[in-house]
Amino acid sequence: MTENTENTKQPLPQKQQHRPGELPGWKASPVSQNKKPILQIKGLTKQFGNFNAVDKVDLTVYEGEIFALLGSSGCGKSTLLRMLAGFEQPTYGKIILDGEDIVDDPPYRRNINMMFQSYALFPYMTVKQNIAFGLKQEHMPKAQIEERVQKMLKLVHMENYVDRKPHQLSGGQRQRVALARSLAKEPRLLLLDEPMGALDKKLREQMRLELVDIINSVGVTCLMVTHDQEEAMTMADRIAIMDRGEFVQVGGPREIYENPNCRFSAEFIGSVNLFDCTLVSSNTTQSIIKASDFHHPIELSHDLDLADGMPLSIAIRPEKIYISKERPAEETNWCEGDVENIAYLGDISIYYVKLTDGRIVSSTLPNVDRFKTGLPTWEDHVYLSWDPESCIALTI
Amino acid sequence: MPTGISGITPTLIRQKIKQRRRRKAEIRNMVHQENGIRQYAVIFLPYLWMLLFFLLPFLIIFKISFSVTEIAIPPYSPLVSFVDGAMQILLHLENYTNIFTDEDGTYLRSYLKSVQVASFSTLFCLIIGYPIAWALATCKNTTRNVMFMLIIMPSWTSFVVRIYAWMTIMKKDGLINDILMALGIIDEPLHMLQTDFAVYVGIVYCYLPYMVLPLFAALMKVDYTLIEAAYDLGCRPIKTFFNSLIPQTKSGIVAGSMLVFIPALGEYVIPELLGGKDSILIGRILWQEFFNNRDWPLASAVAITMLAILAIPIVWFFNAQRKSRERV
Repeated sequence: MTENTENTKQPLPQKQQHRPGELPGWKASPVSQNKKPILQIKGLTKQFGNFNAVDKVDLTVYEGEIFALLGSSGCGKSTLLRMLAGFEQPTYGKIILDGEDIVDDPPYRRNINMMFQSYALFPYMTVKQNIAFGLKQEHMPKAQIEERVQKMLKLVHMENYVDRKPHQLSGGQRQRVALARSLAKEPRLLLLDEPMGALDKKLREQMRLELVDIINSVGVTCLMVTHDQEEAMTMADRIAIMDRGEFVQVGGPREIYENPNCRFSAEFIGSVNLFDCTLVSSNTTQSIIKASDFHHPIELSHDLDLADGMPLSIAIRPEKIYISKERPAEETNWCEGDVENIAYLGDISIYYVKLTDGRIVSSTLPNVDRFKTGLPTWEDHVYLSWDPESCIALTI
Repeated sequence: MPTGISGITPTLIRQKIKQRRRRKAEIRNMVHQENGIRQYAVIFLPYLWMLLFFLLPFLIIFKISFSVTEIAIPPYSPLVSFVDGAMQILLHLENYTNIFTDEDGTYLRSYLKSVQVASFSTLFCLIIGYPIAWALATCKNTTRNVMFMLIIMPSWTSFVVRIYAWMTIMKKDGLINDILMALGIIDEPLHMLQTDFAVYVGIVYCYLPYMVLPLFAALMKVDYTLIEAAYDLGCRPIKTFFNSLIPQTKSGIVAGSMLVFIPALGEYVIPELLGGKDSILIGRILWQEFFNNRDWPLASAVAITMLAILAIPIVWFFNAQRKSRERV
């Protein structure tokens, strides 16, 4: 069976669970929804020699949420996941699942199941045998196993492939079987290790929402590891950005994107223009900031908890910078330069503007009109401006 | 006639495409022919070797097995003879019937005994070899080299010499008895030589490397995430071994078992030197019939029958191999 038939056969993903008026990417904090914590990690550390792969991580995951660990390779996210599954023994720290410390339990005694990046389907077993494997280990009665397997097959739309071996399935189908196998035991916590890692781009985008759908319909709590920020943003309720074994920031997708708490998370998610600045003055209604790269000051409409004259960084996302050939009337929040390069991506164009001191600033322009003329082009002198609310002041 | 940029017309493009296709087809044919010749050249020599030194002797033995002994040189009756200008082909089947209808059942008993000894030796090799192969597959590279040396080094000395060494180790005043008596574990020396025990020790010792190496190769290819997956789904370690590791190393187990079982079945030197009077294995029978009784036809029939017994596991082996290839 090819990927094509898969595309046409699949129903459109249902709408994501949402409340009216909710902003995309904004999720109510699980605490405010009175959700029950299901997994608590306390001071979890894993050392390999002198190297701390995971460094005193604290985390609470709440009932029914999808939590993503996001980080580049080698940041310790996989080690953390493997410690939760029980494949790695933590150097110290606690893993509390439903109020019980499971840190010393071997993987086969934990009520946690994992979907592996490579899917790890048993090649010598059929789809059905793969799904039933975990249930057989529990010595579940045969009729009940059969019933559960059918339920799982239906859940992942694989009823017609019961007797196939994994090598007779496409990548997307294998993923469905792997998901069914890890859900069959109805675990308290589902771990997903780079769930889309082995799929091609098109299928990946389609599977993201479908996977969320399946997970939500089962209601299982889910912790996933990924290096793909789009994947984390579309699938997860909350995201933890990891760097060098530590959590840099934990929050909902919108919170992390719009309110990064440090340079690392600002740079890690999406792209960003970062300016080294010094605070000139700050009072309750406005803060004036001097950037080292351009002449006009940056003005924020709020107070900064920082002494005058202190250094800070200002981060502005490219899509929040307006590009224009006309000089803005205001005295603040703009700079000027020449268009150095333009990347045309179809849906948007990215302008790389060289400021007078040589610094390159990027700004995106959505291509709303098919044949619009008069847009800035190579070597044009342009003015870049932004709203005061678009600036994110970062002190670290 | 529509003219494209810089005079490229559709007809011209079509011509070009045709040309290119023709050239590609030519190149493909050339490659195929050359490959064909080279392939045959590569296969020819081993084929010739097998033909001369395996198939031909086999056919000769097969032929002899249908004749009867004669006091002559060579000591058997000719298969084809001319009597009164007529060509006679005499196929004597009594050698085969003799094997199965022998009064005291010597042949059948020795066959059974050989199969038994070879099977148990294979099993022991598997049980001892698997942990060794596992250690080899999972240890550090430097340790692995040392371990490989330890496994292969004994074969630098002659096979017969090593068996003689075992004789001195296991004899009445040999190493084992001396140590056990010095420790006060036993009062009188154990009788080990000329027993089945000694034969098993010898065969397992000699053929262990042939079991370890294929197992090692299979274990190196094991997908360890499958083991983790089994653990993750609630499978306990011992069950995981049988559920996940054994199926994955099946090809190695089969190959190693064949490499031990086949030579162990016809083993002559080890039972002769270490075995007792009662451990009459088929290898010994062969030797006796050929050299002591000079009954070449019967000996040939014994050998052919042994080959038939071996054909069963060999066919099974090839089937298993084909199946595992199909899966990939």
